[in-house]
Amino acid sequence: MNKKFNLNMGLSFLMLLALMVSCSSNPDSAGTEYMPDMYRSPAIETYVDYGEIRGRENKEIKTKLSARQTPKYTVPYYGTEGSEVQMMLPNKRKAGVAWRESHGLFGWDLNAESAYDKARLDTVNPLTMTPENAETILKNGEKLYTSMCAHCHGEKGDGNGTMIQSGAYGDLGVVPAYKDLDTLSEGKIYYSIYYGKGYMGAHGSLLNKKEIWTLVHYVRQFQRDGYGKFEDVAEVESAEESAE
Amino acid sequence: MKITNIQKVTELRTSLKAIFLFSFLTLAPSYFSQGEGLFKAKCATCHAVFKNGTGPKLYEARKRWDDAGEGELIYEWVRNNAALRASGKSSRANEIFQEYKGSVMSVFADLTDDQITSIFDWVDAQDPNAQAAGGPNIAAVSGVEMEEEKGLPWIWIVMGVMFSIIIMAVGGVRRQLKIATKESDEDSEGLTYVEEFKTWAWKYRLYVGLTTLVLVLSLVVGFFQTLYSINLMESYQPSQPIAFPHDVHAGVNGIDCKYCHNSVTKSKSAGLPTVNVCMNCHKKIDGEGKEYQGEINKIYAAAGWDPSRGPSGEYTNETKPIVWNKVHNLPDHVYFNHSQHVVVGGLDCKQCHGDMAKLKELAKVQPHQELNKIQENIDSKIEFDRATMTMGWCIQCHEQSSINITDGKSGYYAEIHNRLKENDYNLLNQYNEDGRVSVKELGGWECSKCHY
Repeated sequence: MNKKFNLNMGLSFLMLLALMVSCSSNPDSAGTEYMPDMYRSPAIETYVDYGEIRGRENKEIKTKLSARQTPKYTVPYYGTEGSEVQMMLPNKRKAGVAWRESHGLFGWDLNAESAYDKARLDTVNPLTMTPENAETILKNGEKLYTSMCAHCHGEKGDGNGTMIQSGAYGDLGVVPAYKDLDTLSEGKIYYSIYYGKGYMGAHGSLLNKKEIWTLVHYVRQFQRDGYGKFEDVAEVESAEESAE
Repeated sequence: MKITNIQKVTELRTSLKAIFLFSFLTLAPSYFSQGEGLFKAKCATCHAVFKNGTGPKLYEARKRWDDAGEGELIYEWVRNNAALRASGKSSRANEIFQEYKGSVMSVFADLTDDQITSIFDWVDAQDPNAQAAGGPNIAAVSGVEMEEEKGLPWIWIVMGVMFSIIIMAVGGVRRQLKIATKESDEDSEGLTYVEEFKTWAWKYRLYVGLTTLVLVLSLVVGFFQTLYSINLMESYQPSQPIAFPHDVHAGVNGIDCKYCHNSVTKSKSAGLPTVNVCMNCHKKIDGEGKEYQGEINKIYAAAGWDPSRGPSGEYTNETKPIVWNKVHNLPDHVYFNHSQHVVVGGLDCKQCHGDMAKLKELAKVQPHQELNKIQENIDSKIEFDRATMTMGWCIQCHEQSSINITDGKSGYYAEIHNRLKENDYNLLNQYNEDGRVSVKELGGWECSKCHY
């Protein structure tokens, strides 16, 4: 008797299989993979949850890892020349404890008092600008500025970036134009970028120290006409010399 | 004279705010704009009108000092708060200093009493009810629905089994009834199911044949379609712990992709923002009263930030990771480097990821048809017909995209150009024959470039 049912059963199972195959538009599913263990493998890759590999679960580390800041005091190996190592060392002036709350410096090295005021003494940009590298520095600065600063400070440094225009901040904080801040020392600009200032958050985790000093050059260029334009100066000087 | 006028008006303020505002604006517009100008230039970087931030809110700050009985000292506080604290004249000064954990306010020694009054007059004249209208006009962000998709196929199977059992049971009962009543056709008397089916199928052979043909064909097509869909990631859109709206961040607010995906120019991985990067803006933008406040609260939970503590929020030290689900995932045997494509190749993010500035839903693997609509791809004469994130898709772009080999933007191609010029000029000419140099010609189709 059982044998007689086989055809019916087989047909109904085939239909079911066809049904299951046709319903696979789940956005949460990556679809069928050739080698699933190569997509979620035990090899170290960024942003992979190693709490579950090949079905084995490790509750200790499962969903414990997310994006992390660069480890403290690291100096990038690539892009840091020997002469620049000094510049990449930890800041000698630290932010105050109050900045933990006010600027989100959670887990940072902080001093009791903020050294921001003392940064007025740092008037020299350690990334020295010479006629040879001026163009490169300002070009790199522009790239960094466009992606890191312009959405608030505006492409022309007038404090009217897209974030301000869209009204995202509502009645909070107005971004001052760089022109109005031209009395700030190099060090103060640096520490404002690194630890944040006013409503601006800290960018020490986003930019390395060389990049921040590059940005200091770029910000100066908004404040002082002809900043970083050595050729003109040299030409003027030589013109004066020849006139004499 | 000016000051007394203002003071009179200030008294009226509590009862007739609208009239006050109107008369004030008409009486002394320059004075009024002076206050606004000074506020924006000197105060607004740390103080907001209605909300505590880096510094306390300024709305009715004067009143709070008056209530503390130190109304006159607020001028000294504004000019040089450290000196006022040191003098010991004011208890309120030290209170504020303690409340903000020793956060030092800048010194504004050059402000006159007139100017300070004008700032506070302007601030107090603001309408506290108007602030709700502020903030960007963001369309509702759809929440992530966590569907229990895994359980579904089993339900289908169970249901299928149940249905077939019912069908068979009914069939069996019918047959038994037929036998019992002996009303069945003479032909089918004493036949098995198979024999019965055979007679029935022969009777309707045209229909049965056609149906079988259609069934078999569709099964074959379905089988191959399934095979071809293996490892296609197109439209993969995993649920995320936070319904992050890319269109608001990159579109409305114009934040560059590289601000959050910070390592894209330096590393193999584009990088996800750490929570402190979110907090750079969201410490202030809390979405209070908006439909997306719940999502922003998830950031606070992750950062261990309690906005209700202290004057303007405090850390609780209880942090929690945000575990994002990786959307664009390549298997281990493929090497892909973001910085090579962004810095050296000069690609725009949207050429591979689609226009995120317009993406209202969660991040997903954009189908190649969408990528073909991206202006940059049209300009570079790149047209995909292979599915996104497949090898065909990669090498299609490597063949179609042209390289500006003489341009020393990153120095990478310039170096190749120099070496070609010195070592094998003919090869360079060969590359240039069609008027362009493609990535393929410089080794973009070498297996070992990506598989090693």
